[in-house]
Amino acid sequence: MAHFAKLGSNGKVIQVLTMDNDKMLNADGVEDELVGQQWLETHNNWPAQMWIQTSYNTSSNQHKNGGTPFRGNYAGIGYEWDEDNQIFWPKKPYASWVKNTTTAGWDSPIGDAPALTAEQESQNTADTHTWVYEWNEANQSWDLTDLKA
Amino acid sequence: MQKKVLSEQALYYGDVAMPKDWDIDRDKLSGDILQSVIQNKDFPFSKTWDILNTYMRDHVGLEYGVNLVNKKTWGNIYKPAETTIPLLNIDPVDLCNSPDFTLLYGVKVKDCMVRIHYEDNRRKGRSWDIPLKNNMFIMFPSTNMYYITNNQKDSLNFVQTITYEYI
Repeated sequence: MAHFAKLGSNGKVIQVLTMDNDKMLNADGVEDELVGQQWLETHNNWPAQMWIQTSYNTSSNQHKNGGTPFRGNYAGIGYEWDEDNQIFWPKKPYASWVKNTTTAGWDSPIGDAPALTAEQESQNTADTHTWVYEWNEANQSWDLTDLKA
Repeated sequence: MQKKVLSEQALYYGDVAMPKDWDIDRDKLSGDILQSVIQNKDFPFSKTWDILNTYMRDHVGLEYGVNLVNKKTWGNIYKPAETTIPLLNIDPVDLCNSPDFTLLYGVKVKDCMVRIHYEDNRRKGRSWDIPLKNNMFIMFPSTNMYYITNNQKDSLNFVQTITYEYI
């Protein structure tokens, strides 16, 4: 099965469709995105160049089965297509976060959340607390929160 | 102090912004409306209508998370200086099979005005006027009564209506 994302005029993904691989075979019997795009234009009434193939098994620029990742993430409705970087970007979680083209994800301006301490981890395991770091956009910081509190 | 909105009457409107060179073929739609009205037949399915309908369903779903399912579609021709009778697309005694939303699309219109009636709790009988232009859509709850007026004296107005329920 092949998957194609339908793009709106603003580059946002409107819909994701599945199609048989044999619908995108070229004259040499090789899968060709252009053939799939043309097929979708004919049968789904939307310009060929606004159908972009996406990989069901790619997430955070990694292939689930160890293969070659394709276009960063499996496209979802509302994702944004970045033609320059060939990546489908999920929605930006916070205004200050920046793109990371290596992981095809969004990073906070101060990096990842700190790791939990061993004590916090053990309390989480014991289910007495649920310690997590949550992003505080106003203070631009990672705040430690106990969800059970 | 907290607030909970129990229901809302949302109206969606704007232009159908198709990709370049993929504009809705409004000549085709107006021809189909004319044919269906003259012959008193159902509005025919066409590729053009499907493009319009798919655009609406896709974009309303994307922007507002409202998933639409088609109920009915038809086209109307309004004579110069004509104002319709009050229009209501639900059946008050069969709400189960009535649509949730009514979509009006300006196929070939000039000086066309839509008046949508609504109630604001204790304030009854309110209305909202919006001009319907070519290639523009207005979508509102089918429980709202509305009128369409052709405000000029020279030409016919062609309006496509599509009703939807949401899931």
